[in-house]
Parts: sequence; structure tokens; C-alpha cells
Amino acid sequence: MKALNILLIEDDMIEVMKLNRTISSLKLNHKIIEADNGEEALVILEKKDELPDIILLDLNMPKINGIEFLSILKKDSVLKYIPTIILTTSNNQKDLLECYKIGIAGYVLKPLKYEDYVSKIEKLLAYWSINELKQI
Amino acid sequence: MSQDKIDVLQRALTREKAARKQAEKILENKAAELYEAKQNLEKSYIELEGLLNKTDSQLQGVFENIVDAYVIMDLFGNILKMNNPAINLLDFEDDKEDYNLLKIADPSELQRVSESFQTLLKKGTLTDFHLKIITKKNISKLVHINASIIYDDGIAVAAQGIVRDITEAKKAERQLIESENRLTTLIINLDSGILLEDENRKIILTNNKFCEFFKINTSPDLLKGQDGSNAAEQNKVLFKNPKTFITRINEILEKRTQVIGDELEMVSGKILLRDYIPIYENTVYKGHLWAYKDVTLRRNYRKSLEAQKQKYSNIIANMNLGLIEVDNHDKILMTNQSFSKMSGYLEHELIGKNAGSIFPVGQGSEIIKNESLKRQKGKSNSYEVKIRTKSGELKYWLVSGAPNYSLKGKIIGSIGIHLDITDLKNLELQKEQLLTKLEKSNDELQEYAHIVSHDLKSPLRSINALVSWIKEDNVGKLDDLSLQNFKLIDATLDKMEQLITDVLNYSSIGSNTGDMADVNLDEVITTLIQIMYKPEHIKVTILNKLPTLKGDKTKLQQLFQNLIGNAIKFINKKEGFVKIDVKDMPTHYQFSVADNGMGIEKKFHDKIFKIFHALNKSKESTGIGLSIVKKIIDLHEGEIWLESESNKGTTFFFTLKK
Repeated sequence: MKALNILLIEDDMIEVMKLNRTISSLKLNHKIIEADNGEEALVILEKKDELPDIILLDLNMPKINGIEFLSILKKDSVLKYIPTIILTTSNNQKDLLECYKIGIAGYVLKPLKYEDYVSKIEKLLAYWSINELKQI
Repeated sequence: MSQDKIDVLQRALTREKAARKQAEKILENKAAELYEAKQNLEKSYIELEGLLNKTDSQLQGVFENIVDAYVIMDLFGNILKMNNPAINLLDFEDDKEDYNLLKIADPSELQRVSESFQTLLKKGTLTDFHLKIITKKNISKLVHINASIIYDDGIAVAAQGIVRDITEAKKAERQLIESENRLTTLIINLDSGILLEDENRKIILTNNKFCEFFKINTSPDLLKGQDGSNAAEQNKVLFKNPKTFITRINEILEKRTQVIGDELEMVSGKILLRDYIPIYENTVYKGHLWAYKDVTLRRNYRKSLEAQKQKYSNIIANMNLGLIEVDNHDKILMTNQSFSKMSGYLEHELIGKNAGSIFPVGQGSEIIKNESLKRQKGKSNSYEVKIRTKSGELKYWLVSGAPNYSLKGKIIGSIGIHLDITDLKNLELQKEQLLTKLEKSNDELQEYAHIVSHDLKSPLRSINALVSWIKEDNVGKLDDLSLQNFKLIDATLDKMEQLITDVLNYSSIGSNTGDMADVNLDEVITTLIQIMYKPEHIKVTILNKLPTLKGDKTKLQQLFQNLIGNAIKFINKKEGFVKIDVKDMPTHYQFSVADNGMGIEKKFHDKIFKIFHALNKSKESTGIGLSIVKKIIDLHEGEIWLESESNKGTTFFFTLKK
């Protein structure tokens, strides 16, 4: 299975821990790049030679929120090709529609139970591991 | 014989001799006289004969030259002789024709003819006999006959007559009578009271209307010949001013000049108009005509018309609406006081100006132009326009315009009524702003609810993850009690999660109501029941086919899900059922969801629909479900109520608009 470079944009520390623990407990060799918020993520994405394969994006964040970040990303001629999956607790239909309108590669709801979370993440990463991605 | 006797006889003889001699002498004289008389007679006879001949020829001349038809007939009616006019009258060829006059008479007249003939024979004359005849040329004529019998030695031998053709005269006379009748009928029935008096004020003619005006209870005919001045004296009491009524009549009669339109007010309130027309024949005064006309109605019309006009003028002057009249070129012709007050311009500053160019601001001129074009096509209209007053204030006016027509029905301009709706308009604008604001704040609230729920849910996920990790990292080290407590933490987190979801749902129901479409409930609810969690011992059935109605599909589903779910939740029997039914009402459908659960006490029936009023503090119940149900029903203009018996079951009834 291909190892992925994953950019996780998430302000909640425990959520970051959840993803890391999930990957390690599933014994996957994906690399996680962490960004506390959109601004930080944009700084990371400035280095065009080290771009991630996929982005996992939380919507509710301080400073630049998820949707704002997504808009900026999709306007960039290079970054717009990075598949971006929303990972959020919000099932607000308005947000969902808005995200798909701007352009996302998936919309995953964070479940309450940790076991359910592990199962969802496992499938998500398995799916993207077998996808052909643009070579940047 | 005695001497004496002889003497006596001798003396007597002598006397006789003497007497005879005397008689002879007288006789002789008489004979001579007779002779003389005879001579005279002969002479006069010759004279007479001459005279007669002369008269005869004179008569013949008269007879022939007479203008009227002259006919002599025998006593059987055969014509003996006739003159030229008679030939013409009777349409004969010449006077030689033999003809019986009785044949000329119209067949209908035969009886009269024979009667008249008898009269003629008896009396010797017949005068003024009118007879209808039919001439030889078959022309019907009316003739006038004067006839007499001709006697010879006292014996009637023939009859002579003068015949005059009066056909035309009679016709003219009849026409005259007819037209006189017509005139009389006309006068009798005239709408004016007519009184014709002669120079002595004797009534010649009057009519029905006159009798009506003066309350005379006899026919107009019976008034003929009466004294008009007496009548006036009697009738003066009918007038408001009896004295002047009489003096005015006398004054008029004295002057004898025409008077038109004297106004008389009667006690009854009636107003009469009187004309006086003197009649002169060859400058000789022959009488006069009075004509009375009832003008009460007309006078009252004029009065009420004036009152009406006054009323409307007052309304126009004093009404709170600005009034403006313009011609077809939008030039101001008239404005009222209120309009001056509204606009700040005095009337004289406005007259002659173009209304569309003084006031409007922005699009106003265009609007006014379009609207006045519509009015010129005869349409009334009303529209709003933003204007600037003389002092520069911005105002909103509601203008109601209507075309103005001339008496001939041509559009000559329009009349506009203006109402200052600035305050109203400001309120409306304010309302619109408020609505926008409200909508925005509603959206914001919705957004806020989502953010809050996200923010509340995130810590739950973290707690769950952390608890999981503690369990994972300490497998085998935790005792049963700790494991039990971890399970309670999980259950509490579940309930917290559900609560947050419910609150979010509840707050979302009021928003986006635009999704009303036809919903086939039978299909939706059947599917819903299939996918819902149902314990083995509970049967959920739909008794009658559910209808299709206008609504929000997701919310209706939520409504049934909550009610059915509730019913299932509280069934405490071995064999449970939930029965769904529907009844067709005029404007609504009435649904019912019945169960054989534990029932709800009466005192809670109202409370249960209020938010956070869960009766049973169970781990699945948040107390929001029925509040959501109520809110969805409100949204579909329905009502909800319930019937319940403790430990026997509950039936929820609710209605939804068709």
C-alpha cells in the first residue's frame, strides 16, 4: 500500500492525537503533517516541492475557517489539484453544499465513538492509498 | 072680388112693373160694365201674356246660367230638365239623357230618400237635405239639396231642386272638427294648467291640470261660462300670499301685456310658474290665456343640485387629500388647499406648470408620464411616487388618478388625489429592513446553533476517545467496577450527543419552509416503519391508506417517526401494537397514532408538548421529541391532542392541512 503524505488541518489537540493513534494502531506508514489552523496550513503549502497527497480539513476553526481555506486553495492553480476531505462534526446541510460547490474529495462526519472513528479513517486512507494522484 | 082687393092688386102690379123696369135698367148697366171689364181683361191678358213670355225667357236664362246644379223631375224621380252644372255634378253626357234620380242615391240612403220624398210631397218643400250619391261614373259624392214641388192649378206635377256638391266642404269641415278635437284633447291633457277667459273674465276653456292645481273637483267642461274672478277669489287661500295673488292678477289684467314666468308659492309647497298672454283680434282685446306650470321638482332639483355642489366643494376644499386637476398636457388647472399644504406651493405658483416636472425625484417623472398615458386611454390608476416639496423635503405620495371627461365624453385631462404616505412608507421601509434583519439574525442563529452543537459535540468525541484509550492502555488492569463506570460514561456521552442533536433539530424546524411539495404519506410512512427499530413483540400497522398532501417530506417523516418511536418506547405489555389511521375532514386530514402502552395521566396532557418535559427520565428520552412534533404540526397548520387511559394506552390525534 502506498504511503501518503497527509496534511491534517485541525485545531483540537485530541483530534490530532486521535488520527495519529489510529494510524499507528493500524500500523500504517502514512506521514502526517499537522497544521493548527488555515493560516499555518497555507504557510506549509507555500513550499511547493513538499506538497501533501491529500488534505484532511476540519471546518470549525479560528482565524481562517475551513470553508475560507478551501476557497483559497481552489483558487490556486497548483494547490487546487490536492484532494481535500472534510473531517467535521457539523452535518449542517448548508456547509455540506457549500463545500461540494467549491470542490472537495469527500465529507466525513466524526462519529461519537472512537471505534467508529478508527473504522472510518481506516477505510478513508485505504481508499486514497489506491488512488492515482497528480504528481506534483 | 072687392074693389079694395082689385086696388090692392093693381097697386101691387104697378110696383112690380116699376121694380122690373128698374132691374132691367141695372142689368143693362151691369152688362155694359161687364163688356167694358171684358175689354179691359182682354187687354190685360195680352199684356200679361207678353209679360209671361218675357219672364219665361228670363227664367230660362237664370236657369241655364245658375252656378248650382238645378234639376226638374217628375213625381217619380225621372229627370225632366237640368242645367249644365247638374250635368257636371251627376257626371252625365248631356241633358238629353233619361235618368231616374232615385237611382243615384247611395243604396244605404234609400230609406231616407223615400222618407224625404214623402215630406216634400206633403209640405211642398224640402230644405237642407244631405244625401250621399253615386254618380254615373261611380264617384261617391255628398250633396246638399233644396227642393220644392211645382203645382199646376193646385195639383202637384213636378219637383225642382238645387243640388250643391258639398263633398269637399264636408271633408274640410270634418278635418276642422278633428283638429279642433285634437287640440281640445291636447289642452285637456296638457301638463300645464290652462285657463282661457274672455274680455269679461268669463271662462272659455280650462283643462284637467288647472283643476288639479286649484283643487277644483269638477270636470273642466263645467267651468265654462263661469266668472274667473270669483274663482280666483275662492282659490287665493291655496297660495302662501293670497293678497298679492289677487292684486297681481288685477295688475296684470289692467296692463294687458304679456307676462312670462311669474312664480307663485303654494301653501302645499308646490311652486307654480304662471304665464299671462293677452289675446287681441284686430287690436281689439278679446280675452287672455293663463298658463300654470308646476316647477316644484325642477326648482328642488336645482336647489339640491346647488346644495350638492356646495357639499362637494366643501369636501374638496377641506379634505385631507391633495387634489389636482391637469389637462391632457399635464398642465395644472386647479389644486386644493390640502395640496398646497402637502406640496408647500401656493395654488398660483402651480397653475399652468407641468405637474410631472415640478415634484418627482428619481424615477418619478417616468412613472408619472406612463401613468398619465394610461389615463389618456381612459384608465383609472393609483401609484406611489417619491417627490420633493418646495422646502426640499422628500415625501412619498400615493396618487389615485382618473381621467376627466368633458360633457361630450372626450378626455380633457385627469384628476389626481394625493395622499401623503411618507409615514406609512417609512414604516413599510422600516418593516422591510426589520424583516431583512430578522431573516439575517435567524440565519445567524441557525448558524450559531450549528457551531454551538459542533463545539459541544467535539468535547464528547474527545472524552470518548480518551476513555477508549485508557481502556486500551490498561487492558487487564481495570476491575469490574471501573469497567462498569466506563460504560456509564459512554451512555452519558450518548445521551448528551442525542440531546445536542435534538436541540439542533428543533431549532432547525422553523427555518427553510420553502420545501412544501406533494408528499405521498402512505409510501413515506410504510418505508419509515420498515427501517425503524421495532422489538419483536410490537406490531406497527397502518389501518387505512394514508393520503398525499402538501408538506415538507423530511419533517413529516420526522413527525411520524417521533410519535411511532414514542409509542414503541413506552409499551410495557407482552403483546404491543401501534395503529396508524387517517380520517378525511373538510379542510384537513385527521391522523391518529394509537398504542397499548402505559398511558399518560390527564394532568400532563398539555405539558408534554413543551420542550424539556420528558415524563420518563429514561436514557433514550431527551424531552424534545413531542415539542418537535408540535412544531411540525404548527408548520402544517394543524392541531394535536391526545386521549389516554393509564396502563391501557394512548392515542395521539393530529390534523394536517390538505
